[in-house]
Amino acid sequence: MISTQNYLIKQLPKATVFINTKFEVIHVSDKWINYFDYSNIDLIGKNIFELFDSVSKEWHQVIEDCLLGKSSDSGIEMHFDSEGKKKWFEWVNIPWYDEYENIIGVIVQTEDITKKVLTELRFNKMEALLTEKLEIAKIGNWEYDAITDTLIWSKMTKMIHEVPMDYVPDVETAINFYKEGYDRNVLSMAMFNASNHGTSWKNKLQLITAKGKTVWVIAAGKPIFTDGKYTGLIGTFQDITEQVQTEIKTIERKNLLRALIDNLPLNVYIKDLESKKILVNKAEIEFSGFEKEEDLIGKDDFDFLDESSAKMCREEDVSVMKSLKPLLDKEDVIIRKDGKSSTFLTSKIPLIEEGGNVTGLIGFSLDISNLKQKEEELRNLINVTSLQNKKLIDFAHIISHNLRSHTANFSMLLEFLVNEKKEKEKKKIISMLVKASDNLLETLGNLNDVITINTNTTLKKKSIRMNDKIDIVNTKLKTLLKNNKAKIKNKVSNNDYITAVPSYLESILMNFITNAVKYKHADRDPIITLSLTKNNDYSILSIADNGIGIDLKKYGDKLFGMYKTFHNNADAKGIGLYITKNQIEAMSGKIITSSEVGKGTIFNIYFNERI
Amino acid sequence: MKEFNAICIIDDDPITVFGIKKMLSIVTKCDNIITYYNGKLAIDGLREIVNNNEDIPDIIFLDINMPIMDGWQFLEEFIAIPMKKKIRINIVTSSIDPLDIKKAEMYKSMSHHTVVFNNKPITRSVIEEITNAA
Repeated sequence: MISTQNYLIKQLPKATVFINTKFEVIHVSDKWINYFDYSNIDLIGKNIFELFDSVSKEWHQVIEDCLLGKSSDSGIEMHFDSEGKKKWFEWVNIPWYDEYENIIGVIVQTEDITKKVLTELRFNKMEALLTEKLEIAKIGNWEYDAITDTLIWSKMTKMIHEVPMDYVPDVETAINFYKEGYDRNVLSMAMFNASNHGTSWKNKLQLITAKGKTVWVIAAGKPIFTDGKYTGLIGTFQDITEQVQTEIKTIERKNLLRALIDNLPLNVYIKDLESKKILVNKAEIEFSGFEKEEDLIGKDDFDFLDESSAKMCREEDVSVMKSLKPLLDKEDVIIRKDGKSSTFLTSKIPLIEEGGNVTGLIGFSLDISNLKQKEEELRNLINVTSLQNKKLIDFAHIISHNLRSHTANFSMLLEFLVNEKKEKEKKKIISMLVKASDNLLETLGNLNDVITINTNTTLKKKSIRMNDKIDIVNTKLKTLLKNNKAKIKNKVSNNDYITAVPSYLESILMNFITNAVKYKHADRDPIITLSLTKNNDYSILSIADNGIGIDLKKYGDKLFGMYKTFHNNADAKGIGLYITKNQIEAMSGKIITSSEVGKGTIFNIYFNERI
Repeated sequence: MKEFNAICIIDDDPITVFGIKKMLSIVTKCDNIITYYNGKLAIDGLREIVNNNEDIPDIIFLDINMPIMDGWQFLEEFIAIPMKKKIRINIVTSSIDPLDIKKAEMYKSMSHHTVVFNNKPITRSVIEEITNAA
């Protein structure tokens, strides 16, 4: 009987053990032995609690209670198997009755739930991980049950809305968190479309939290259908305020940088290894003759600069990129294709990537054309000023020298006169004194003329028929010309007019013609040829003679100021040409002299027709 | 009274020439006073004298500011004429330009002749000094 009973129990499909009131094992199924790996031990009569390393108080209590007739729930117990692995089993205890309904022990059934527990643990772990992830990413989720019309927000969703954890949302209040207008409308439409057309949504929207803070979120959601019927919505909710702000800041920074380079009074450009432009600022775009940055990107200097300028720029680029040494403050004259020339102060700096390879260059060019022009004007002004200064010094020397020489003569002659006893000699000295006095007067007159020319700027230039003036001078010099057998060959046409101060023109003609006669060649009669040509700015009067000529290499610089003398003797010509030169310059003209010793001299007098 | 074979005056101002001649006639005895009215005439004349072995002047009075060839240009060419005789060249000018005084020093250092810078008006005592030294 017992063996039959034993045999039955042995084959029970679940791991089962029967224990008596002393907790001693009475029967045990093979499954149980297998499960707990007790095949080598005779379990019968062993205390059940001694078979386990440890037994939870709970289970102990449950078994004791069971002996008192209380049936119980199940419980879970953990133990280590023979290989030291953690195992879990679920137990169910029921009281063991004999045929007289007396409790004689406890029937314990166990089930290996290790796999289930491990799965559950992994699930818990993953859930925890997900929650953590969602928290880090600030992603909340929500679920809407259309049937019960209930909306459930996750913890993070509540945190994003800055509502307390016990807050209960509904659809209407949820929608009202969105910023009024665009954001709220977008979401309402999305939800409507989801429930009616089954579409999902994902939008970047702004909402205002319970505490009044404006935040950026990505709101996503999709409808749920059960058996083809719409039953609700689920969705996620991500706070991206920080990203958006960073994005905005990045854009702002980019805009600031762009505004900065665009408004720099400099041409800024970045070129690649082939000198093609990959970034240009406004000034560079304008200089290149384009309107938009895109028009210029990918082009090089050859597209809008004169060939030679483009070549020079390319050579500079190559040198900078090869040597890796910046080019600093180089003055370049750049000519555009349309011929406009500008002067730039250019710096080019090689662009070197992290690996040390050169990828191009960044260039800055400052247009200094205006500065250059000012510099040029200043230089001209300095030239004019130094010329005038020289003239002033010359003039001061002339005055000093001439007045001194006259006074020296007076003092010498007077000393003679005082010591002279002979009447005849006295008379001679007195006549010389008179001459010295005349000389002084004339000198003063000449000085006065020079001053007048240089200070009298009110004298108006007029259009004068050249031949009228030549005729007047011819008449005035009639005697001089006749006595020297001089001839004037006039090649000036009757239609030739020049712009000059009439009195100056007369004086100039007188002086040059007189001069030509004075320096006539001993072997031939003087011939003076007058002719007139014109160019853009000047009427050029040419006065050519066949006189002795002058070695310009030796005396050129002294021709018009050399004698510093106004002596009224036969050979003196200093003052004449000096005054002439002053008159011509006062009319913004110039004199160019060419001469060959023994053959003659040509004076080309330039009358300025522009100023 | 010191006697000289020849004295030369180069000046474009007849009054100065008259003055120097007059003072020379008082302090020296010289029958051969040569006058030139500019540097060009003087250098041509003096070259001829040297070439013809005539009496080279012992003293030259030289003006600076003259037409055609001035005193400096004359000096430049004159010191280039090879001659053993040491001549006393007196620059006589109304210029008080310090540059002119420096220039005179320069020519003096370039030649074996004596070059002295004098300002106008030239007085009898200066003429006496010059002739005594020569």
